[in-house]
Amino acid sequence: MDAVRALQIENLHKTYVDAYSGDEVVAIGDVSFDVAEGEFVSVLGPSGCGKTTVLNIVAGFVEQTSGSVTVAGKPVSGPGPDRGVVFQNHALFPWKTVQGNVTFGLRMRGVAKAEREATAAEYLRLVGLTGFEQRYPHELSGGMQQRLGVARVLANEPAVMLMDEPFASIDAQTRRRLQEDLTRIFQEQRPTVFFVTHDVDEAVFLSDRVVVLSGRPSSVHEIVTVDLPRPRDWRTTGELPQFRALRNRITDLLAGDESHAVADPA
Amino acid sequence: MTARRSTPTRAVAWFLAPFAALLVVWAAVVAATGVPLRIFPQVTDVVAALVSMTASGELFVHVAASLRRVLIGSVLAIVTALPFGVALGASPRLSAFFAPLLRFSVALAGIAWIPIATLWLGYGDGAVIFIVWNAMFFALTYNTLLGVRRIPLPLLRAARSMGTGRVRMFWEILLPGALPSVVTGLRVGLGYGWRGLVAAEIIATSAGLGYALFLAQKTFSTDVIIASMVIIGVLWLVMDRLLLAPLERRTVQRWGMTAARP
Ligand SMILES: Nc1ncnc2c1ncn2[C@@H]1O[C@H](COP(=O)(O)OP(=O)(O)OP(=O)(O)O)[C@@H](O)[C@H]1O
Ligand SMILES: [Mg+2]
Repeated sequence: MDAVRALQIENLHKTYVDAYSGDEVVAIGDVSFDVAEGEFVSVLGPSGCGKTTVLNIVAGFVEQTSGSVTVAGKPVSGPGPDRGVVFQNHALFPWKTVQGNVTFGLRMRGVAKAEREATAAEYLRLVGLTGFEQRYPHELSGGMQQRLGVARVLANEPAVMLMDEPFASIDAQTRRRLQEDLTRIFQEQRPTVFFVTHDVDEAVFLSDRVVVLSGRPSSVHEIVTVDLPRPRDWRTTGELPQFRALRNRITDLLAGDESHAVADPA
Repeated sequence: MTARRSTPTRAVAWFLAPFAALLVVWAAVVAATGVPLRIFPQVTDVVAALVSMTASGELFVHVAASLRRVLIGSVLAIVTALPFGVALGASPRLSAFFAPLLRFSVALAGIAWIPIATLWLGYGDGAVIFIVWNAMFFALTYNTLLGVRRIPLPLLRAARSMGTGRVRMFWEILLPGALPSVVTGLRVGLGYGWRGLVAAEIIATSAGLGYALFLAQKTFSTDVIIASMVIIGVLWLVMDRLLLAPLERRTVQRWGMTAARP
């Protein structure tokens, strides 16, 4: 009955203690939001406001100071295959081929070889890497590496896909292509996505909702619903007046200019 | 691609050039100064010694004995040091506990253990193999530990987030991830192993290249001494070229990971 809530974040708070000086850093003040099943939610906020920290807590890499994270109704404790992570610098295994990387999670879960290969083929096709199975990651371009990173996560069919600025280190032109690829894949597969970015256009283009965090100690400033039609591509979606209105509104929110933001009718 | 085909020959030529230069200088200096054979041999004396050692079968016996000990000692070192090094690299607590002990042991590794090794294992293969193992163990453990620590955190996190268990973590992530450093450790360690071998053979056995050195010293046969030293150096180079270099090419280089140079 509660199946629609793929990810629930409630009153999340995190204080880091600097191991050297003993100073405390409040990384997350008080953050709560949900991601529904099959929903694409982006988190935006000023640099250092704790976006990565939220994602790392959801992934189970970092432990929160207080608050709770539940995935598919179960509280998170440690990393697990129900949450797939796409890393900014790809984090592909250099010693495994493209095939070896895509099938890794399936092998860890004991999926039979024939099924693994069928799944791998399907997701490599989805990200346009068919024919590159026997290459090693260093033989791929940055864009291809990140598409492989996406395929490696999707192949595990996680309840939630976590992405931390996955396209930040990729050139502008390729980034637009990858964003279009991602929105197409999202359209086809409907995974649940929690996407961290500092790029307003990217957030609006990809998301169903955008969570805007305030500066430190961070809390949820506002959640903006993006009801742009799908399928989306830069040519048409980027030109829509609603797109520009949403982008301006979020930009103003980030700049802390409330009055301007409210005045925008979209 | 004629350019590519000629590359290996050129590489071999460049590799041999310094040895050729050494031979020339050596022959010239010995000829010019006229030092007697009991002090230092002429190049031709060494070649003659090599020929007669080969003809008598003596060379084969020594080389076989030494190689066997090095191989057994290395395998034991690899089998013990890799799991230990990975465990230390993966667990800060474990490495914090063992670090002082490891550092303490570095200066003592290998040769300093010969007296104890002969007391425990007697004069023979056992003691020599123990020394080879001991000489390699610390270098290999330490480099493996470093290699594991150098694996980028996101790779470990990626593996964990895909449900990788402990055993799989070792074989699929930590060991291959540490390999650039492990190769360095093998190279450094095998060097220590050979040195340990020669020293141990001088003291603890009645066969092997170290023993041949020792015997020759008693009869002032500098030609045999230098011949044995040449063989030791050549065997080491061959091992490096035939075992380590291909291992490096097929793994670290193939994967686009650069090997850490010692
Ligand atoms: N391991 C850590 N130890 C101590 N402080 C940390 C640690 N990780 C992050 N912080 C601090 O917590 C705050 C939030 O960091 P975080 O990386 O989550 O921000 P972010 O929103 O992802 O920033 P950016 O947009 O620059 O990626 C920062 O002030 C940072 O210095
Ligand atoms: Mg970040």
